[in-house]
Amino acid sequence: MRVLKILMVFLLSVTLCFTFGVSSSMAADSVKVGIVLPLTGAQAKFGEVEKLSFDLALEEINAAGGINGKKLELLIEDDTGRPDVGRSVVEKLITKDKVVLIGGGYSSSVTYAVAGVCQQNAMPFLVNTGSADKITTSGWDWIYRLNPPVSHYADAVESLLVQVIKPKTVAILYENSLFGTKGASSFEKTCKRLGIKVLLKQGYEHGGIDYKPVLTQIKRHNPDIIYMVSYIMDASLLMKQSREMKLTPKMFVGGAAGFTLPEFVDNAGKASDKVISATLWHQVLPFPGAMDYYNKFVAKYNRPTEYHGAEAYAACYVIADVLKRTKSFKNTDIKKALSETDMMTVFGPVKFITWGKMKNQNKAATYVVQWIDGKLEMVWPEESKTKTFNYPVDWLKVWGY
Amino acid sequence: MMKKNLTLIILGIVCLVFPLVVRSDYYQHLAIIAFIWVVVGSSWNLLAGYTGQVSFGHAIFFGIGAYTAGIFATKLGISAWWGMMFGGIVAMLIGLFVGWVCFRLRGPYFALGTLAGGEVFRLIATNWESLTDGMVGILIIQSFRSKLPYYYIALLLAFACVYAIHLIMKSKWGYYFVSIRENQDAAESLGINTLLYKNVSLLVSSFFTGMAGAFYMNYMAFIDPEVVFSLHYISIMAILVGIVGGVGTIMGPAVGAFIMVGVQETFRSSFFGLAPGWISQGHAMAFGLLVVFVIMFLANGVVGDWSKIKRYVFRIKPSSVS
Amino acid sequence: MDVLIQTLVAGVLIGGIYCLIGIGMSLIMGVMGIINLAHGQLMMVAMYITFVLSSYMHVDPYFSLIVAMPALFLLGCFLQKYLLNPLMKVDSILPENQVLMTVGIGMVIAEICRFIFTSDYKTVKTSYGGEAFFIGNISFNVPMCIAFIFAVVITLILFWFLAKTDTGRSIRATAQDKEAATLMGVNSTRITIITFGLGSALVASAGSLLIPIFYLFPDIGGPFTLKAFVICILGGLGSTAGAIFGGLTLGLAESLGATYIGMGYKEMVGFVIFIIALVFLPGGLVGIKRLIKS
Repeated sequence: MRVLKILMVFLLSVTLCFTFGVSSSMAADSVKVGIVLPLTGAQAKFGEVEKLSFDLALEEINAAGGINGKKLELLIEDDTGRPDVGRSVVEKLITKDKVVLIGGGYSSSVTYAVAGVCQQNAMPFLVNTGSADKITTSGWDWIYRLNPPVSHYADAVESLLVQVIKPKTVAILYENSLFGTKGASSFEKTCKRLGIKVLLKQGYEHGGIDYKPVLTQIKRHNPDIIYMVSYIMDASLLMKQSREMKLTPKMFVGGAAGFTLPEFVDNAGKASDKVISATLWHQVLPFPGAMDYYNKFVAKYNRPTEYHGAEAYAACYVIADVLKRTKSFKNTDIKKALSETDMMTVFGPVKFITWGKMKNQNKAATYVVQWIDGKLEMVWPEESKTKTFNYPVDWLKVWGY
Repeated sequence: MMKKNLTLIILGIVCLVFPLVVRSDYYQHLAIIAFIWVVVGSSWNLLAGYTGQVSFGHAIFFGIGAYTAGIFATKLGISAWWGMMFGGIVAMLIGLFVGWVCFRLRGPYFALGTLAGGEVFRLIATNWESLTDGMVGILIIQSFRSKLPYYYIALLLAFACVYAIHLIMKSKWGYYFVSIRENQDAAESLGINTLLYKNVSLLVSSFFTGMAGAFYMNYMAFIDPEVVFSLHYISIMAILVGIVGGVGTIMGPAVGAFIMVGVQETFRSSFFGLAPGWISQGHAMAFGLLVVFVIMFLANGVVGDWSKIKRYVFRIKPSSVS
Repeated sequence: MDVLIQTLVAGVLIGGIYCLIGIGMSLIMGVMGIINLAHGQLMMVAMYITFVLSSYMHVDPYFSLIVAMPALFLLGCFLQKYLLNPLMKVDSILPENQVLMTVGIGMVIAEICRFIFTSDYKTVKTSYGGEAFFIGNISFNVPMCIAFIFAVVITLILFWFLAKTDTGRSIRATAQDKEAATLMGVNSTRITIITFGLGSALVASAGSLLIPIFYLFPDIGGPFTLKAFVICILGGLGSTAGAIFGGLTLGLAESLGATYIGMGYKEMVGFVIFIIALVFLPGGLVGIKRLIKS
């Protein structure tokens, strides 16, 4: 009957009106910060490491008194690795949950999309992993970034190349996401500057099974080094298949991300040995609490952590510091407090300045790690190393041929 | 008759008044998304439900519309709102091309052809970086800070689409479409130019879907190939909206749109915070189960099989003609 | 020259696995006219079974074929009997109900696996996992070669089954003309159930063979379902011989495309071939043969 239909429509509208009024449980005494991470989807592994690090830091911060007596509350939301979901989620955090600050940001594409929302809503956003340069070169003054931009990821690699390996040619392979594309083009520019000839530069769609065709081409070109920018599984497949092809450049260089995760050595096995990668952090660095953080993480979660986790852990402490210092929880005051940040974290010193074309960008150093006997060892710069850089490498021997 | 109109009028008033009463941005956002799906679902329904050409590639038109608006903004420096008008037109032109390739195929082959077409366009958008910026996507600044203008534009678009389809189906075109669906060869032998009318249906369908895509660009302010050309999130969602709501009915897809968006958000937010966190991943499962259930028992959707629902759920026996 | 040969080798080897995926779908399409959009998800289930057997009982993936194939056969029969066959009687406007039902089934299966196994990438590590042997300068990946051999063997068994056994011939008869077959005493309901089971078992074998080479996650099914279509259309629906042609063609096309056009375009090659085949060769390889004969 039609009356029933009308009734249902009314009921629906009334329910909506009521549910909108029900706000999520809110302790009056807590300060809410929204964190956007990929908890599911292709990048879930990275999101997990960061979430666990945030949790660890949160516990410590609240145990030490929180934010001037108030509890710090992190609302960690899943962006599922998709920029549109990221945007919706952040809008929800801003308008419905009324957070005072947004943190997180793993994938460059999602981070960039989320940053757009934050900038428009005048909501301060502390990025801790999304690395595309665009995020801080777009002139957005509400966006602050803890980690270095991808164009600088290979800084340490650069000095290693110039001083030790001295390659003349390079082949570049990258996953065609924002992160991979930008990482590859920055490295290409670096090579041009150093006079290294780029023999081949190819993007691929992630999820490929067989890289042999492109690896065969690379083999034919015979470059001195191969530079790869990949997320998790592709990194292992690329190395495994390079090993199968007996592709032996002077060195395999990973552009961070998938190459520093424990999953890389788990899945690539022998093929991961002696591969080097750019990285943004290692637990032996002389930053107060770095090794502590590493040990605490391993003890609590029974798995190793690496630079992504450190970024998240440090970001949490920066957030806490900012919220303690801020005059009020109004966005302009928080923004001011962010700009005035000058502290040391497990990730290194944090200060947001304008340099190059970037605004509100922290200047962090990068390093080079090498997988030696299944462990990620710091090999460059010389002063920070835990093991000597293994070079030159007899790949066929390492690979067990 | 009167009762039907009354329902629609009340519905209309609720829609108009909704954002003024429910001031939460979050719910307004959900409503806007639902309106977008009303348009895409109804457009799909016109081609599939009424004309019998089951497209698995409506993402093509959605994505084309979205990228038209986006490219206007980034490469031509014109406001993306112009994209709404041109998005629909460009989508229609692409629609003609798709029709030329796919209409020679029948039934499931047409479905497969459109499915492949959707993926091809996605790959083109991903690889043609000079035009689309590839996987980087297109990001613009939203024109309005408040959601109200977007809400009313979406509402207007949804209303225009549904009403247009209503008028079309009442006209002779409507009869032609249905006859093609029922038996294309018989229709052809009766002198109906089936190819022409299949294309007409496709043009209307792609036009509105393209406009919805362009609107999406303007509203979400960010698109990339995976989002707007997605087989799973756009093409299949359009089909689900149509099926759950009711293929071959006017209001079916509109009802379907609200149901699907509602189900999706209910799960994603863990039943608005009332259920344990892990259930937030359950929305895809809920969709799957919903599809299986609807196809088995409510093959004509909520609207199409409303009498069945009344009988089994509300225990209302069909006593008189309603 | 080496590049070309390596590319061809890679293409043929992966083509073997593609054949298994395609034959399964071809059978289902030929006999029931259903486009099984859950095909990839069925493969995923087999891969998870293999993964579980490998991780917890240390069963080699190739031996898990013995478990995965029958398991998927039963699952396929179940799906056809309880979810797909009843649809034939449901009165609905849209004739593509069965296809859409498979979409729903696929989603549910994928989500169940996601719930049990999470979205994490799983791998099965074998001692010969990354091994390769060389003939001259050309590298042959060991697991892929083994997979290829298995694929050939399974295909030959299938052909024997279809040609020589009663059930097999009933399947072919039903594929040719369902009504005539029923008139000849074939229980078409039973046959449809068995065929879906058979198709599922075949794609299960492809999954078990694939997992040492690749990795596993709940969303792995989608792209493979699409590949299965391309293969079927290329070869002609219902034609098992055609599916072999289709599988190899797709494998080679992807490989050549990756080498000579660029890796980003690899996926596109498959789809473009698909559309060209759909438009110009609606009968697939079988259609060409008929054209040539007439």
